[in-house]
Amino acid sequence: MFNLIRNEWMKLFSRPATYVMTGLIVLAVIAATVITLFISSLGEEQSDNWQSQLQAENAQLEQTIENGEEWFAGQDPEEQLAINQYALDNNIPPNDMNTVWTYLENSTFLISIIGLFAIIVASGIVAGEFSWGTIKLLMIRPIARWKILLSKFITVGAFGLFLVAITAVLSVILGFIFFDPGSSVRLVFEDGQIVEKSMAAYIVRVYLFNSIDVIMLTTMAFMISAVFRSSSLAIGISLFLLFVGGTATGFIAVYYDWAKYSLFANTNLSLYEMNMPLVEGMTMQFSIIMILIYFSVFMTLAFTIFTKRDIAS
Amino acid sequence: MSTQVVELRKVTKKIRSKTIIDDISFNVYTGEVFGFLGPNGAGKTTTIRMIVGLMEMSSGDIVINGKSIKTDFEDAVRHVGAIVENPEMYKFMSGYKNLVHYSRMYKGISKEKIDEVVKLVGLEGRINEKVKTYSLGMRQRLGIAQSLLHDPKVLILDEPTNGLDPAGIREIRDYIRKLAKERDMAVIVSSHLLSEMEMMCDRIGIIQHGKLKDVQLIEDFVGTQSQVYKIEISNADQIVAKMRASFSAWEIELVNQDLLINCKKEDIPEIIKWCVEEGVAVYGAAKAARTLEDRFLEVTSDKKGEPANV
Repeated sequence: MFNLIRNEWMKLFSRPATYVMTGLIVLAVIAATVITLFISSLGEEQSDNWQSQLQAENAQLEQTIENGEEWFAGQDPEEQLAINQYALDNNIPPNDMNTVWTYLENSTFLISIIGLFAIIVASGIVAGEFSWGTIKLLMIRPIARWKILLSKFITVGAFGLFLVAITAVLSVILGFIFFDPGSSVRLVFEDGQIVEKSMAAYIVRVYLFNSIDVIMLTTMAFMISAVFRSSSLAIGISLFLLFVGGTATGFIAVYYDWAKYSLFANTNLSLYEMNMPLVEGMTMQFSIIMILIYFSVFMTLAFTIFTKRDIAS
Repeated sequence: MSTQVVELRKVTKKIRSKTIIDDISFNVYTGEVFGFLGPNGAGKTTTIRMIVGLMEMSSGDIVINGKSIKTDFEDAVRHVGAIVENPEMYKFMSGYKNLVHYSRMYKGISKEKIDEVVKLVGLEGRINEKVKTYSLGMRQRLGIAQSLLHDPKVLILDEPTNGLDPAGIREIRDYIRKLAKERDMAVIVSSHLLSEMEMMCDRIGIIQHGKLKDVQLIEDFVGTQSQVYKIEISNADQIVAKMRASFSAWEIELVNQDLLINCKKEDIPEIIKWCVEEGVAVYGAAKAARTLEDRFLEVTSDKKGEPANV
């Protein structure tokens, strides 16, 4: 199996497109840095004195609570007030636009770009062998077909992780060069009290949650590639869903309950953290089960059809 | 001496209700080149795809070196090296990397072994260049190289001379004979080029409309009939009846105003003498080679019982 993955990796990295994708990821990280630097330069005066700023915000919060108004972003104003007070008392400055943490939090769009490239690779990795005609020479080896397919799937995953690693290392390096270290403590209001949590763990979780839909779409692209032997079909459907799937599901969910069974209704697990399920009654367990069901359906389709099929023409 | 390595047992392939391959059985032995001959669309490639496990058969079985390709795919196909249709390689990689790629799919193929097959097919000079820069002949040779990496007992080449120039065809042909004789391989070659087969194969199987029409040794196949001579004369159609009466011992046929006579070499002067005496102008007399092509047309001729075109 290791040799099969090495083979796939060698084929992947023998093509210029792979290097173009890697280069584009590097450019995207740099672009994210430049944009964040630009935005933070607009609001420079904010960072002078965080204590007085928080005090001002607290005054506003108190007023909001008094008037019974809504605080923005659906947060509970009382919780925000308590967090701010805790920060003032314990001298923990909040992470503003100039810190590494905010920079990283705002760079989650990089996940979509990595996902885009992973989808492209997944779409071509099986279909390509058919269109090159090399599938015939690949399948007459003393290796079961499912092993060949699995090695290809693992290679797609490894390529995704490879891009993630490049992005992570480069982001952290650029982050620490251009931004303040900020505070590595994240204050959370939990069960009626303030808890200090790790900012790094939070960032990792944000990235993981954001990865679910691209992982699922990559799996789907791989399945289409293996079943229909067409990379353009796989890329087309997957990218279309990547860009409109979430939004469309959001619209449908407003009117119809069955939207909760669609893939995209379940890929955004952070909704549960924020206590805002897409459809009333959905839980994180439900979503995780739905994701697993979709995943096994894609895999079963890909493997059964790929291993059974006659290879003609 | 030679042992049976490939055995097709009543192999049938149906796609939906259409029978593509109909109950084909034959055996191939070590050290022989077996020609698989048939017009385009007869089912040569489909049969080959079933032998290497690319296609499933609807019924029957194929046994390679004692293992069924159906139930024991990995152990059966381990002994097979093949090119199916064109030798399509990864064009974006060098020839060498292509070979490394395939060598990793077997156990224990050393770097030396790769170098050895590269040398064998004479690609040393260009092996590190990308396959997209190769000519068709070089690709064909690289295809043979990949099929020999694991020292297979059975070599299957689908249309190996397709698209090659005469020099390339000759090279591949000599090469195939060498492999069969020196390495005691069983080589299965498919082609629709009859002249090719005649020079390359020991035995030949003719397939048409998915049915195996005939399997014979090449000598038997070509040389069963006694020699035929073609005599070009004037007014052949008018004289033929009289001639038949005079020479009742020979079969005399009239084809396109020429006479085809089934006789011995020594009889030719007598025929010519007879013609001169009869006042018939003789333009030529020559041996009409009875080739594989004639036999092929004879065997595959749909109008059964009718004499062949010779």
